[in-house]
Amino acid sequence: MSSKPEADDTSLWDENRNIIRSHKGGWVMGEAVYNHGYNMMDELVGHKSYMQIVILNATGRLVSKQLADWVEAVHICLSWPDPRIWCNHIGALGGTARCSIVAATVAGVIAADSRAYGSKPLIEGVGFIQRAHKELIQGTSVEDIVSTECARHGGKPYIMGYARPIAKGDERIPAMERVTKNLGFEVGPHLTLAGEIEEVLMRDFDEGMNINGYVSAFLSDQGLSAVEIYHMFITTVTSGVTACYVDAASKPAESFLALRCDDIDYQGKPHRSLPD
Amino acid sequence: MSEKKHIKVKSRNEAFTDKTRTNIWHELPSDNNPYIASVCHCHGYDLIELMQKRSFIEVFFLLYRGELPNQEQAQLLEKLMIALINPGPRHPATRAAMNAGVGKTDSVHILPIALSIMGGEHQGAACIEPAMRFIRKNTKHDPAELAQQFVTELSDDVEGDITIAPGFGNRFGGIDQMPAHIAQLLIAEPASGKCMQWGQAFALSLNNNNMGWHTTGLAAAVFADLGFQPRMGAGLFQLLSAPGLFAHGIELANKPTTAMPFIKDENYVIET
Repeated sequence: MSSKPEADDTSLWDENRNIIRSHKGGWVMGEAVYNHGYNMMDELVGHKSYMQIVILNATGRLVSKQLADWVEAVHICLSWPDPRIWCNHIGALGGTARCSIVAATVAGVIAADSRAYGSKPLIEGVGFIQRAHKELIQGTSVEDIVSTECARHGGKPYIMGYARPIAKGDERIPAMERVTKNLGFEVGPHLTLAGEIEEVLMRDFDEGMNINGYVSAFLSDQGLSAVEIYHMFITTVTSGVTACYVDAASKPAESFLALRCDDIDYQGKPHRSLPD
Repeated sequence: MSEKKHIKVKSRNEAFTDKTRTNIWHELPSDNNPYIASVCHCHGYDLIELMQKRSFIEVFFLLYRGELPNQEQAQLLEKLMIALINPGPRHPATRAAMNAGVGKTDSVHILPIALSIMGGEHQGAACIEPAMRFIRKNTKHDPAELAQQFVTELSDDVEGDITIAPGFGNRFGGIDQMPAHIAQLLIAEPASGKCMQWGQAFALSLNNNNMGWHTTGLAAAVFADLGFQPRMGAGLFQLLSAPGLFAHGIELANKPTTAMPFIKDENYVIET
């Protein structure tokens, strides 16, 4: 082991006291607001779509309006006004508890930062399809890619981007296929592979692709990384949560899915006296 | 791909439970209204009786462990709760609370905002579960040997704080002094167990390399010795830090926006 330095090296923190260095941009008062080198008011506002700016801020890339429109369509796919979905349920609870709409919506958005649904699984979904594509290029067959991945999960088709909780099938895929076609995108190699994997899973397990798999593959074809894609979709459920808040807030307080005392199944310790 | 067949969407018809289950809390309805509870039991104990006969610390422990603590466990938990009561005004989570306060954010939002930032992987709640697992897993290994191994494997190109293992490392280029002081006190507590003992030995073994306990590691060791499950660690750490976070946020809530620095233009550098 090396010996303890005579003095702590605090140079990194000293260099960052009372100063902010931004790689993103900022407000130069009286001059302009800059965003990744663009003058926001002159070059972005009115010229670029909101979703283009969302992606710019998340990734540093000013993508085409065509791609931003595609991403916007995915946001619609993931914002359902159904309070049975976990994040939306939280929005509805916020409404029935008379929280602020912002707090309830943000709470629902945080809930969707989940291992099971929402945007976080995109990291694993993109990781899988990009890894699988590399293996395909190296000569591994689609059948082997699927069997290897399933073997990691006890032979079950637990591949991120395929199958889904609650239901089989995913109505968002044909919708997004239509969007992809209408916006003039070609089907790239990752999306082609994703479809071939789906064919194997449908044949062997009666399980298909889900929206995660479609988004992961399509955006991999656009050259985006897993982290970039995750960062682009952080608030993807927002609108559905808000809808559920508004619905519950329009009804009497605490009337959303009302619970009587005996609607909770207590399975703990029997009633007991405190020890002396 | 537009012509390919899709699976028709249909329910999996999974067997969801009819009622939400809990082992923690039992509410007995009043005679004339099934929605109003007239008696509440926490792990079997009547809440009113707990109020009369037990301390907050004891009931807090009961809530998460399912049994009342003995006197020594309660004492250790209370000391840890005091130690963690305020991350201090420089912690990012506290600064978030202060920004919310001075920015006139509704006061109901101050604590959720701060606790979100307290969920970070750097000196925050996200460290606790990995630290608890790390300490619990390694109590059978020689702490000095493990420290030596980690130091040997340490990369030279780390920028900023080093986290050599979950809950251990340096802070601002040096040994964090407060967790070191706090550890000395906690380790003398009778309820301190093998996790605190091991953690202290591991931290001391790192001292020659200008590293030691992080506050998160210390909290993790005590939580583990008190029998809390690792998955509880993050939330417990957030709970215990909440009083200080809110105190700093609300302190600034009635002050003008000028009560906190706004970096001058000459100190704001756009590097794109």
